[in-house]
Amino acid sequence: MFHWLEKHPFLFSVGVFVTIAFAGLVEIVPNFAQASRPVIGTKPVTLLEQAGRDVYIKNSCNSCHSQLIRPFKAETDRYGHYSLSGEYAYDRPFLWGSERTGPDLHRVGNYRTTEWHENHMMNPAKIVPGSIMPAYPWLFTNKVDIDTAYATQLTNAEFFGVPYNKPVPTKDGKTVVIKMAKSVAGAHAMALAEAKKVAAKMKNQDVKDAVARGEVPEIVALIAYLNCLK
Amino acid sequence: MENRPLEYDYTVAKMFMLTTIVLGIVGMTIGVFIAFELAFPGLNTIFGHTIAEYTAFGRLRPLHTDSVAFGFTVSGIFATWYYVGQRVLKVSMAESKFLMFIGKLQFWLYVLGVAAAVVSLFMGYTSSKEYAEFEWPVDIAIVVVWVLWGVSIFGLIGIRREKSLYISIWYYIATFLGVGMLYLFNNMEIPTMLATSPIGETNIGDWFHSISMYAGTNDALVQWWYGHNAVAFVFTVPIIAMIYYFLPKESGQAIYSYKLSLLSFWGLMFVYLWAGGHHLLYSTVPDWVQTMGSIFSIVLILPSWGSAINMLLTMKGEWQQVAASPLIKFMVLASTFYMFSTLEGPIQAIKSVNAIAHFTNWIVGHVHDGTLGWVGFMIIASLFHMAPRVFKRELYSKGLMAAQFWIQTLGIVLYFTSMWIAGITQGMMWRAHDEFGNLAYSFMDTVNVLHPYYALRGVGGLLYLTGFLMFAYNIYKTMSSRPVEESELQNASPMGA
Amino acid sequence: MNFYEYAPYAYFFLIIFLVVGSYSYIYHLYTKRKDSSGIDYEHYSNMALKDDIDDTPVKPMSDEKEK
Repeated sequence: MFHWLEKHPFLFSVGVFVTIAFAGLVEIVPNFAQASRPVIGTKPVTLLEQAGRDVYIKNSCNSCHSQLIRPFKAETDRYGHYSLSGEYAYDRPFLWGSERTGPDLHRVGNYRTTEWHENHMMNPAKIVPGSIMPAYPWLFTNKVDIDTAYATQLTNAEFFGVPYNKPVPTKDGKTVVIKMAKSVAGAHAMALAEAKKVAAKMKNQDVKDAVARGEVPEIVALIAYLNCLK
Repeated sequence: MENRPLEYDYTVAKMFMLTTIVLGIVGMTIGVFIAFELAFPGLNTIFGHTIAEYTAFGRLRPLHTDSVAFGFTVSGIFATWYYVGQRVLKVSMAESKFLMFIGKLQFWLYVLGVAAAVVSLFMGYTSSKEYAEFEWPVDIAIVVVWVLWGVSIFGLIGIRREKSLYISIWYYIATFLGVGMLYLFNNMEIPTMLATSPIGETNIGDWFHSISMYAGTNDALVQWWYGHNAVAFVFTVPIIAMIYYFLPKESGQAIYSYKLSLLSFWGLMFVYLWAGGHHLLYSTVPDWVQTMGSIFSIVLILPSWGSAINMLLTMKGEWQQVAASPLIKFMVLASTFYMFSTLEGPIQAIKSVNAIAHFTNWIVGHVHDGTLGWVGFMIIASLFHMAPRVFKRELYSKGLMAAQFWIQTLGIVLYFTSMWIAGITQGMMWRAHDEFGNLAYSFMDTVNVLHPYYALRGVGGLLYLTGFLMFAYNIYKTMSSRPVEESELQNASPMGA
Repeated sequence: MNFYEYAPYAYFFLIIFLVVGSYSYIYHLYTKRKDSSGIDYEHYSNMALKDDIDDTPVKPMSDEKEK
């Protein structure tokens, strides 16, 4: 009765494939259109924030930090409002993580400041006694890759319709436009302008000097990104 | 030359045995190192501040997971395929120059892919999706290697003498199809160099860089559909293929019930793929996906235990072999760990349990009792069984094997017990409230309390690594130990004292 | 009717189909014991046990191909 399936390698493989592909079709496909709608207040990231996000990924911060607040009292008490699907609409890739060796960061911008991050990244155990997070001194010297961040923004806008240079609704009923540069040179100028605002609040003289010279250290971009997580 | 009898040709199997051992050592060493980094953060800079960027936990963690999964385990799968495939189809690789060429090509491309993967991950090129961290050029290399493996599977099947396909072949075919499908869909990404700026500049930035085709919740859904089933099709399905061949062969016992093996095959194939949603419980994916993931995880106990019980009962009436042979010990303990982790997994997938377990070290513990106990032991056992046959020499030392078995078993026990305690402690402390409804513990309280467990886990890992080095040494010495006759190789592997 | 209205029906009938399918497979395996070419399923274990290249296959490919 069933043996025809087992005798013919080709039919067998087709049978196996149908069996395993089935679940994916049912579970994943129907949800696609729905889950990609942003909620009000969700904005695409700016150029410097995008560069910071790339730094976050480069150092696999998501190995230890989640960006997903579950709807439990203990979590909302600790980290803020639970996460909503639409808040992730522009996240490519998603950065939910699977471990909380360190705390969740989905709304870290609400309760940490530029100064705090600067000191903490240089020496976590000094700011948070007992912390097992490694220090990240190289972020203060490595220069961030603006070109790639710009290319990422372009890709997001071009292939996925992420609304750069378009009005995006905000929570207070107004709109905001997240600008994207027209050229690589423009992108560098734009990133530097953003970086100057962040660096103005920082204390590290090397970082300030670098920004004054027109360079953007990784730490500046990373802080810009962490501050935008709200 | 004309009259030389036809023999199985293990050239490619030997090559992949080498990478199994080498990448196993690399992956496990990194694992032990980063385990101790969590216990003693000072280790992050032990190699000096200048290269601290490359030895920090975050940078090394993908290297650990990928080198044990795609290095050690996948090499083990290929090595056993190029051994088992020939034997149960009763056809030699030597009969087809084409397949031999494909096998060697696959090996060298694989080595190239591994090198590219290691370098790019060290540099920080990562897509950030777990177990799919490789950027697009490496992904393409992996897909090519995989397709070549498919050519080899179906090529060998095409020239077989045995018409029916043994159950192990079923599982290898399923591995090929499953991983192929999952890997392709999860790694759909667009290289950012394809974008054009408004004034017409192209090729901007790093050519290696790409972004995912899916965003946010969808990306998470696809990722964990992949992540969970990569576990299915790399850590379960091919390992079952191994045990269904190596356990009967080494013990000389027929599979307890061949019919049950067919039944649990189809059960496993259908049920496994649904369970991915259990990684996303209480997240922002739709509720019905979460519930479905939870329910199917429980259902999954049936086909898993169907296979596991079938393996254990294969030893029926021959249990003295477990005491007598360290090789059988490895396989019996592997199937026991398989039962154990396929029960633990569904328990963690129950929503209310998951509320405590998710994001904690209990999950890490669960993964490792599956991978160290089941995957690791089974691949080690397979290579032990293959070594005398591919080298035509007896295994170097039975005593060393037995010592390795006990050291590694102790390592696994230390690993999962410490991670259980750590995980449940973490989960309970995170959610604890005091009498006024305030959080009872700061996050740092929950980190401080874990120190002894992190240290203990590191010791467990170190013991396992020690055992693995003993294994490598044993295999190395086998290459020059006493030559054996064909007749000694029927069932139980010949072992020196 | 859109997809979300079809889905529960499709799901219901799928479950029925699978239950019938898997139980008839079990019934088939354990009553017939032998496959369509008359070989006891349990004999297939010999594919692993007698796997030298000159052992007789449990079920050889057709004779023409052997030559």
